Amino acid sequence: MTTTAPRHVVADRPTDEAAQTRRRRGALIRAVPRWLVTLLAAAIVLPPVAWVLSTSLKRDADTVSFPPRWIPNPFSWAQYEGIYTITNVRFLINSTVLAVGSIVLALVICVPAAYAATRFRSGRTEALMTVVLVLTMVPGIVVFIALYAMLVRTSLINTYPLLIVVYTALISGQAILFLRNFFENIPVEIEEAAAIDGCNRRQILLRVVLPLVRPGIAAIAVFIFVFVWNDFLVSTVLATSEDMKTVQNGIVRYITTGFGNFWGLFAAFVIVSFAPVLAVFVAFQRWFIAGMTSGESRDERDLSSATGRARRRRRSVRVGRVQAARGVPGGRGSCHGDRGRGPASGRPRTSTRSPGSPRRRARAG
Amino acid sequence: MVALLVFVIPLGYTVWTATHHTSYYEIGSYSGLDSFSKLFSDGDLGHEVVTTLVFAVGALVVALPVGLVSAVVVNNARRLKRSVRSLFLLPWLMSQATVGTIWFWFLNPNYGPATQLTKALGFGPTNVFSTPTAALVAVTLITAWWSYPQAMLLFLGALQTVPVELKESMRVDGGNAWQTFRNVTLPYIRNAIVSVVVVLLMLYVQMVTIILVTTRGGPLNSTETLAMRTYNEMFVDFNMSGAAATALLLFAINIVLTLVAVRFRRKESL
Repeated sequence: MTTTAPRHVVADRPTDEAAQTRRRRGALIRAVPRWLVTLLAAAIVLPPVAWVLSTSLKRDADTVSFPPRWIPNPFSWAQYEGIYTITNVRFLINSTVLAVGSIVLALVICVPAAYAATRFRSGRTEALMTVVLVLTMVPGIVVFIALYAMLVRTSLINTYPLLIVVYTALISGQAILFLRNFFENIPVEIEEAAAIDGCNRRQILLRVVLPLVRPGIAAIAVFIFVFVWNDFLVSTVLATSEDMKTVQNGIVRYITTGFGNFWGLFAAFVIVSFAPVLAVFVAFQRWFIAGMTSGESRDERDLSSATGRARRRRRSVRVGRVQAARGVPGGRGSCHGDRGRGPASGRPRTSTRSPGSPRRRARAG
Repeated sequence: MVALLVFVIPLGYTVWTATHHTSYYEIGSYSGLDSFSKLFSDGDLGHEVVTTLVFAVGALVVALPVGLVSAVVVNNARRLKRSVRSLFLLPWLMSQATVGTIWFWFLNPNYGPATQLTKALGFGPTNVFSTPTAALVAVTLITAWWSYPQAMLLFLGALQTVPVELKESMRVDGGNAWQTFRNVTLPYIRNAIVSVVVVLLMLYVQMVTIILVTTRGGPLNSTETLAMRTYNEMFVDFNMSGAAATALLLFAINIVLTLVAVRFRRKESL
């Protein structure tokens, strides 16, 4: 059967090449709307960003001139020097402490919780997960306001631990649900193998499971960082004293002073505070996107695995048949295999036998 | 699990304050459901519910298709993949407070760059934050601008569950891009659409920051959504029981939204 020569594949080769160039040109044309959308997005997304960047390099007097100038003339670093104040440094430190603290606390709580919720399935854990889900529905503003009212007269307000706990609580519901999707992807057999080799639960979690869910952990850590760093409301409400405010409060402060709006300083501080987010994002982009997109909700996977698999199987058989019947090369490996095997077995130039039935050829690959 | 307490205690506390008389942050005697009856007989409430709906649904109607289209584009991008992705994600990486303020400034009628553009095109200055309807539209669009990348991320994940073979077979069978999208991609991401709708609606219903830094609920209360009202009652009017009642109403709306969504999902996966 392997010696069956699909003769007309050889015959099709020139047209195949023509088809390839045609396809390449088609791909170029098809890419046009894609780039149009990208350009449109750039036109909508970039102007405010460019504007902030340009303003941060202007002199004070130029920031509110009309008509506005897009290219600062003359360039000036005065705004960046202007925001280098002890309060702003304090804001940056506060935000960093809160972000790092929240990431650590959230991971310490959520990773074991998500693991337990995945591996020890029972009615109780399911109920608990439902409670977690419902509690993530509590509007944030409800929580802050009640916390503020409760704590305003205690010494807990304006402390790092309180703010970290609040941030962690706000994010942990999502984090647990998110991480659970990753744990579900790990086959139990791996853990069983580790257990047979003499690992205890803790070792299994630390040495076997954690390395496997690293992308998920990286993704959620980046997510938490962006969430805490960019948060405005929690620190507005729960950090009442000056030295506990965060970067976002510092930014907004420049235009709500009552002494006028310092657009130049505002813009410079926006740029400075955006730099860490951008740096973290660029550094972890691969993991972040992979984690965000592979940890889809369970329903999606159920759908794709249950109905999708059956459908896919049916379709692929049909695809193979269609391609074979049309003599389309390179489809689902039916002809690649033949070609790769070389003239010795696969493709004698002259063949005495007629090509096998389409069905058989589709299988041959 | 300790973190749950941070939700449960404030929730209980909110119920407690909603059913008591309060003056500033002191809790007085039991008042039953007074603050709720006051809330529901408030003439502004209907208006605010409508505002919340217009705001949330409006932003959703903009952000959902934009998120979907950008997810498709990012998913298919071959060259400059990372740059394209970062470009589309950029608004979401900025904080709500920054985004609100930047747009507020961008649209400033006296010296904003947008005014330059509209004046050059022969329209007047972009005076959007002083007329009620325009302010609501502007706040809605700003929110959509900030939030569409979240929809995009969720869609991106869903798009990757679409088997490539199906798309290929569609191409071989002679289907064009739109047919492929409709008949192959859409059925696979239907669940993702539901979850995006839920996530975004909840986000919009609770949105305070962007409204706070741009309009604070004004002008003439035109942008005061329920969440904004909660904030204003608490920190401007110092009416704690009123704020608590409004907050519970907000919570109830969120629960209803979620239940509807869960129902939708169940049906899908069966």
